[in-house]
Amino acid sequence: MVNALTTATTERAAPRTRSAGPAIDGRARARRRQAVVAYLFLAPTLLFFAVFLILPLGFALLLSMSRWSGFDLGGIQPVGTDNFRGLFADGSTFLAPILTNTLLFALGTLVLSLAGSVVVATCIDNLRFQGLWRTLYFLPIVTTVVAVGNVWKYMYEPGGLVNGVLNALGLGSVAFLQDPDTALPSVVVVQAWASVGSAILVLTAGLKSIPESYYEAAALDGAGPVTVFWKITLPLLRPSLLLVCVTQLISGLQSFALIIVMTKGGPGDATNVAALEMYRQAFSYGHWGPASAAAFVLFVVVLLITLVQLWIFRRKGEDA
Amino acid sequence: MIRRRFPWLSYLVVVIGAVLTVVPFLDMVMTSFKGAGEAGTLPYRFLPEAFDLSNYRAAMDQLDLPVLFRNSVVATAVITGSVLLTSSLAGYALAKLRFPGRNLIFRLVLSTMMFPPFLFFIPHFLILVHWPLAGGNDLFGRGGAGLTVSIAALALPFLVNGFGIFLMRQFMVSIPDEVLEAARIDGAGEFAVWWRIVVPQTRPVVLTLALLTFVHAWNEYIWALLISTANPDVMTLPVGIQFLQDYVDPTRTMPIVMAGLVLSVLPVLIPFLLLQKYYIRGVMLSGLK
Repeated sequence: MVNALTTATTERAAPRTRSAGPAIDGRARARRRQAVVAYLFLAPTLLFFAVFLILPLGFALLLSMSRWSGFDLGGIQPVGTDNFRGLFADGSTFLAPILTNTLLFALGTLVLSLAGSVVVATCIDNLRFQGLWRTLYFLPIVTTVVAVGNVWKYMYEPGGLVNGVLNALGLGSVAFLQDPDTALPSVVVVQAWASVGSAILVLTAGLKSIPESYYEAAALDGAGPVTVFWKITLPLLRPSLLLVCVTQLISGLQSFALIIVMTKGGPGDATNVAALEMYRQAFSYGHWGPASAAAFVLFVVVLLITLVQLWIFRRKGEDA
Repeated sequence: MIRRRFPWLSYLVVVIGAVLTVVPFLDMVMTSFKGAGEAGTLPYRFLPEAFDLSNYRAAMDQLDLPVLFRNSVVATAVITGSVLLTSSLAGYALAKLRFPGRNLIFRLVLSTMMFPPFLFFIPHFLILVHWPLAGGNDLFGRGGAGLTVSIAALALPFLVNGFGIFLMRQFMVSIPDEVLEAARIDGAGEFAVWWRIVVPQTRPVVLTLALLTFVHAWNEYIWALLISTANPDVMTLPVGIQFLQDYVDPTRTMPIVMAGLVLSVLPVLIPFLLLQKYYIRGVMLSGLK
């Protein structure tokens, strides 16, 4: 922008020496015109933000401190922090199992998909036809959650693929989604399976940025592949690992579409997570207040975990 | 070359992983061809006895596929078109025009990426219910169902995308100002500069953003579910198939559900395979999902 202005000034220098006044007026007018045009270009966006971002945020905050379950705006009753206290009251299922499930779901997904993607991404980096492999691993990402959830739900059935493999190995069938002990891990596996592809992409970009000369130097020093992986690849991959950790954990804490499709939170509350509970409170029971309060609590949890992650990675970066 | 050590081990790991990735899709396709009573029975068999196409017909009979397709296509097209247009316009203003409040608006755009979608489900729904002068509402948004019963409800909350604006702005910053200035001196207005010079130069990023938006909009489930619960006429393809799976006996209809899933996945899979390098670049840029 600065460049454009200086260019403009030099090109218009000649007329301005003759009459300084009108030229400055002209420049001010041009700038004003540019501002008007800019706001015209931004008008749809700003209008959208006003109606679908700022108004809803205020509305959600108001709802979280009100009792209201109908659609008549006149019926909103302010109740202060009652909704928030209700979430943490004795006998409330919000902390346990729901919020605990949310954390287990997000952490489990992150660990599985991170381990899988680091191994596969480093291996792909050694191979030919890298684009082909990456495209294959990417298929679950472009597939609707309804397809992913239903296929896996069917595969977990007694007559499905997973139990078929177990039976062929001489093992008994497992009631993956019906048993409260196995339901959450079973859904975690699917979420991790679906998100490995995008983690591979981010890590691949990181691997490509590691200079070949580091590997050559390590080879000259006689370092084995395991040493190379721990001492060179992993430390230099830290920025990409951070990105994967933050984005996967955030999306893990927020997601519930897969759970709606596969278990609807059951059996009991075994796979119920905060976003699903919020959705149910709001749209099954019409409890707008508690649901909005739950949404804000989850938002704060997500924000805190993200900040802690960034802080840990930054501190480690300084130590290294 | 130094990196290429133990290629056999790498091949083994990558191939096993690829099999684990692809097998569920193959199981979906195979099941979609299985006959009645052949799916979900013991012992499990991967291949169908005969490739039975009747499930596809049954899926089309049980679901109003033309309507589901229409709703999905309209919502996806409107969202994609709007996101491209608004991102390009706003991105240009933020990258190349000087005006008071520019930094503030840019920060607002960045902050939109921070708010989680679930925070907006309830207020967005209530705003659509109380939309003035729509669906029987009066000027103050009372009395009717508002926009929740209209197909517009599927698209409205997604018409502008903060990430799209950010992506466009970052790309447009690198266009040299001299080129734009030359066009302005030739008498082109800002709109002409944007349309004739900036838009053609941003074609690759437009394609990337179009693919990202298209895939997300087509696969959107939770919001579409909410809106179709209020009004089944605007049900989209994913919601319709989930509906079928929820309300009909699973052992009998599993092949039909799988046939429906194949039909719903194909419209995204084909453009993805054709243009995957742009889509993959977009995901690498954004670290999305």
